Amino acid sequence: MKKAITMEVNGASCRVEVEPWRTLLDVVREELDLTGAKLGCDIQVCGACTLLVDGKPVSACSVLAVDADGRKVTTVEGLAEGDRLHPLQESFMKFGALQCGYCTSGFLLTAKAMLDENPHPDDEQIKSYMGGSFCRCGCYQEIMQALRSVARS
Amino acid sequence: MAISERPQSAQDGQRLDYQAKLTGRAAYLADMKMPGVLEGVVLRSPVAHAWIRYVDTSEALKVPGVVAVYTKDDVVQGTGIEPYYGPVFKDQTIVAVDKVRHVGDPVAAVAAETREAAEEAANLIVVEYEDLPPVMDVQDSVKEDATLVHETVRIPEHGFADLAELKPIENTNVCTHFKLRKGDIEQGFAECAHVFEDTFILPTTQHVALEPHGCIAAFQPDGRVNLWSTTQNPFVVRTQLANIFKMPVSKIRIMVPYLGGGYGSKVYPKIEPLTMALAQKAKRPVRILLSREEVFYTVTKHAAFIRMKTGVKADGTFHAREAEVFLDTGAFAEIGPRVAKKSAYTAAGPYKFSHVKIDAKSVYTNKPPAGAFRGFGVSQSAWASESQTDIIAKALGRDPYELRMQNIYDEGDEFVTGEKLWSIGVKGCLEKVAQEMKWGEPMPAPDDPSKVRGRGLAALIKATITPSISCAAIKLNEDGSVNVFTSTVEMGQGSDTAMAAIVADTLGISLDQVSVLGVDTDVVPYDLTTSSSRSTFHMGKALELASLDLCEQLRKFVSEEHGVPFEETRMEGGKVLFRENALDIREVLFNHFGMQGGTLVGRGEVKTSTVDPDTGDKTTSSFWFVGAGGSEVEIDKDTGRLRVLKHATAVDVGRVITPLGCQQQLVGGAITGMGQALFEQMVWDNGILVNPNLVDYVLPALGDMPDEITPIAVEVPHKNGPFGAKGIGETSLIPVAPSIANAVDDAVGVRIKDLPVTAEKIFLGMLDK
Amino acid sequence: MKHFEYLEPGTVDEACGLLKQYAGNARVFAGGSSLTILLKQGFLQPDALINIKKIDELRRIEESGEDLVIGSLVTHHDIEVSEVLARRLPVLCELEHDVANIRVRNMATVGGNIASGEPLTDLPCVFITLDATVRIANTSGGRTLALEEVFVDYYETQLQEDEVLTHVVIPPLPAHSAIDYVRFSSSSVVDKPCIGVAVRMTVDPDGGACREVRVGLGCVAPTPMRARNAEAALEGQPLNDDNLQKAARAAAEECDPMDDLRGSERYKREMVAALVRRLSSRVYDQARGGRS
Repeated sequence: MKKAITMEVNGASCRVEVEPWRTLLDVVREELDLTGAKLGCDIQVCGACTLLVDGKPVSACSVLAVDADGRKVTTVEGLAEGDRLHPLQESFMKFGALQCGYCTSGFLLTAKAMLDENPHPDDEQIKSYMGGSFCRCGCYQEIMQALRSVARS
Repeated sequence: MAISERPQSAQDGQRLDYQAKLTGRAAYLADMKMPGVLEGVVLRSPVAHAWIRYVDTSEALKVPGVVAVYTKDDVVQGTGIEPYYGPVFKDQTIVAVDKVRHVGDPVAAVAAETREAAEEAANLIVVEYEDLPPVMDVQDSVKEDATLVHETVRIPEHGFADLAELKPIENTNVCTHFKLRKGDIEQGFAECAHVFEDTFILPTTQHVALEPHGCIAAFQPDGRVNLWSTTQNPFVVRTQLANIFKMPVSKIRIMVPYLGGGYGSKVYPKIEPLTMALAQKAKRPVRILLSREEVFYTVTKHAAFIRMKTGVKADGTFHAREAEVFLDTGAFAEIGPRVAKKSAYTAAGPYKFSHVKIDAKSVYTNKPPAGAFRGFGVSQSAWASESQTDIIAKALGRDPYELRMQNIYDEGDEFVTGEKLWSIGVKGCLEKVAQEMKWGEPMPAPDDPSKVRGRGLAALIKATITPSISCAAIKLNEDGSVNVFTSTVEMGQGSDTAMAAIVADTLGISLDQVSVLGVDTDVVPYDLTTSSSRSTFHMGKALELASLDLCEQLRKFVSEEHGVPFEETRMEGGKVLFRENALDIREVLFNHFGMQGGTLVGRGEVKTSTVDPDTGDKTTSSFWFVGAGGSEVEIDKDTGRLRVLKHATAVDVGRVITPLGCQQQLVGGAITGMGQALFEQMVWDNGILVNPNLVDYVLPALGDMPDEITPIAVEVPHKNGPFGAKGIGETSLIPVAPSIANAVDDAVGVRIKDLPVTAEKIFLGMLDK
Repeated sequence: MKHFEYLEPGTVDEACGLLKQYAGNARVFAGGSSLTILLKQGFLQPDALINIKKIDELRRIEESGEDLVIGSLVTHHDIEVSEVLARRLPVLCELEHDVANIRVRNMATVGGNIASGEPLTDLPCVFITLDATVRIANTSGGRTLALEEVFVDYYETQLQEDEVLTHVVIPPLPAHSAIDYVRFSSSSVVDKPCIGVAVRMTVDPDGGACREVRVGLGCVAPTPMRARNAEAALEGQPLNDDNLQKAARAAAEECDPMDDLRGSERYKREMVAALVRRLSSRVYDQARGGRS
């Protein structure tokens, strides 16, 4: 029943054998020990489980792992280069764009995809791209400040 | 102790938890790995109210990989456990025993090698129910012929001191009835020129911490048990578990990783008793991680029905306030009786009344249990009180700001309980908010002629849990660095950083010399709870005292070793000073221990009581939260759609400890308030919850935010707070909903008395006017 | 999740063959965004998933003669950023900014949006006002249907067990036409729509009469629908307060909304009226102003 899949995860090739009904989130967290992405709502609404597949944000809770076969997967653990934080991480730190941190990985990855697609989005573009991720501690104002700062640099 | 200057170490926006959280390396409960762990799955009731006739687990036990199935038989006849528990009344059981009392009530649980096997087995458990009529709202529940949710309620031997006088009313669904009286209410109304009567309603809502509840329980060969849990109050949970499982607390060790949000949803036992019971039965470690749907069945915020009657003198003086507050505590008391009590204290708002009669009832229904929620009963009473304040102002032709300022508490005023209020900067908060909202200035006309704008204000007062206790310890290492032992749970509010800052500033060392251990009940001293916005005030003070204890020990060493009188030594900037000498901590320790080694332990405790130790006066709350909020809204007249353009929130914080944390708590609380004001409600149809998911239970999103939310910290220091600081976690949430409803009325003349304030209510209100 | 086979056909014919072979016990897996949820929740328990993502010909947005052809594997985000659509039908790109969230827009497809029969969506409402048709492949050669006819009831379509929806075909707009869409949320901006209203019309350059009026309504009936009485109220006349009001009331009457979390039946009818009025007026001005 298991199917062998190969993904490039944070730049490194990895091969796992998975049942076709397992989700990408489950495989990345349980098999690859990359737990930065979190299960939040389980129905693609909250954004806590966001991963980038071929550079595009998806809800990993609802992607079958077999569907990621042959693709590039980016997790929050892959953002920093060694000890050097990604500019988005720096900006989130500077503006205080997180409290409990459960949504942070999703916000960072979504923001990375947005900036890769459009390096200088305006406020409306930021809201349209980022608006479907929830921060329940209420850091939206700080998140906007952090994103604007990177979008304008 | 005199109020100190504000701390300096955490001024630069630094937070101790950020590096881990930003890189995905922060471990939350679901990220932890435990060898040999079984997955626990809960079978829950599909009906709101029914007798359980039998539970048959025979098919479930045949599923490969199943290790244990836990049912009511284990609770009743099992392993010598105490079946009944609960923080106020013992009305909860590990799984339902005689009947189920709400949809989602746990009926059985399975531990299996995989989640898949556990789920399959849970589906194979056969339960026969005999339906009872469910009571789904407080008004039905208090009727004489209402079906009883609990036939009897057990009272614990050692309950909370502040709730000792409250008991369930037999043969009714009234869980508790708290009465607050001042003056003579009938005489009060008779003396008034105007009397106003209104009814206000709030729906049940849920906290929706993005991290669902979870627990891992692992018994050790010697009978001790280790638990990792998403709890805000590990020591209370430990006490409850010790009572249920008849074990000394020393054998129950609870560790708490970072929480992915709490907001009150993770206080008191949740999934811990069941996880531990399952682990005990399976003789293996067990982990239960709740699904999003299960979270909605685990704890909610109280729905409320509030009748409010207010008498006002001809000159606008508030004179008499009568209120009947019904709080829907759901199927179990949980902490509902205290929520009702806190709601009662503030049903007269932050205003001076000569005559007050408040009746606050916590009422059982067949909904999931309601518990603590950021705002703790005060969101409910403030919704009524602050809405009615504007109704009164409008009827009297008075400016709502002026009317509030005329009646609002000031320093030393007498509260409804008769005690004096100190450190009570509510007037300043309201002033600052009015200024920020440009109150009194004409509103700029919207560009779009189909839109209209309005402004609204609201103010509040709230108590913190009293009496309570916080103990803390800090360990000074041989190199002068410090380890902090505190049970305050870092759930996003920035407590690790605030606690470390208080220690660093008291000792005069830099923040990077301080480490906070994290919560482990085997190691850290007792603390009642991380809730009620109490941690900075109580635990912060305990850590300040622990730091001062260390300072004293260091000065004593210097005094003894150098033969200087103790009084002539002092500690400043991380050094012990005497005469012209300045010894750094490391040197003092080296001299004392005679080597590079040794440990000093500083201890601190804060114990509050209902009597002020300095004055002997009665004290309902060890400090008071006060604040105010203002909203500017724009409404589309064709659709009723509302947009909040601006919100300002002012909170009397006592003293700012960490500026970033303070900003985050003030703005974050306001945003949570916007969800409660505009979108959130749990909806039932025939006892079934219609929307236990995040598609249909709507949360506030980035695009719903106003252009600006302005946090304003007003500083009226408190004599007992660390550096004068008070709690800040809940205040900014409370005025949001009434300030928005008041702004809606200002814009379109529609008064909405039931939350949430939806486009439909505004539109139909305009249409039917 | 129930165990299933996972199959990856390389052609449409192969996919239809597999579907026939499983005789109703297989599901087409395109974006998978709604399907995965139904599988996780146990509402669907197929024996096989037929992943059609390897069929590249279904991914394209292209101009075919005068027509626009959108493959069923085109995602919402593909539409959002499509240069062809930005030029030909910017209304589609603009509405996509507000659809669900970026993660769903990246995964969910046009084909899935239609084939799921989900009532609370945006695109089908606009497509029907554009007189779109769909091409459907099956084991007996395939067929073409007007999009409006594809929808049968809540979550129910005309698609048969061996059929794969392959393309949406949109004919060109006449000169002097305009189209616009309003997605109305009664709650948070990211909530599902409470109502969707699309209006398109052509305005006579001489005399200003409305022609080819289409009023599409979403979320207010078991399927996306055209408000034909509203269309008739405007057809052949210059727009004025009187016929605008008539069209708005007609649309409010001919829709069939349910009381639900996003609004009462009464409120939804009122909103249909308000938005048909607002949007018709706007579209009329745009068409008359020569914008299309």
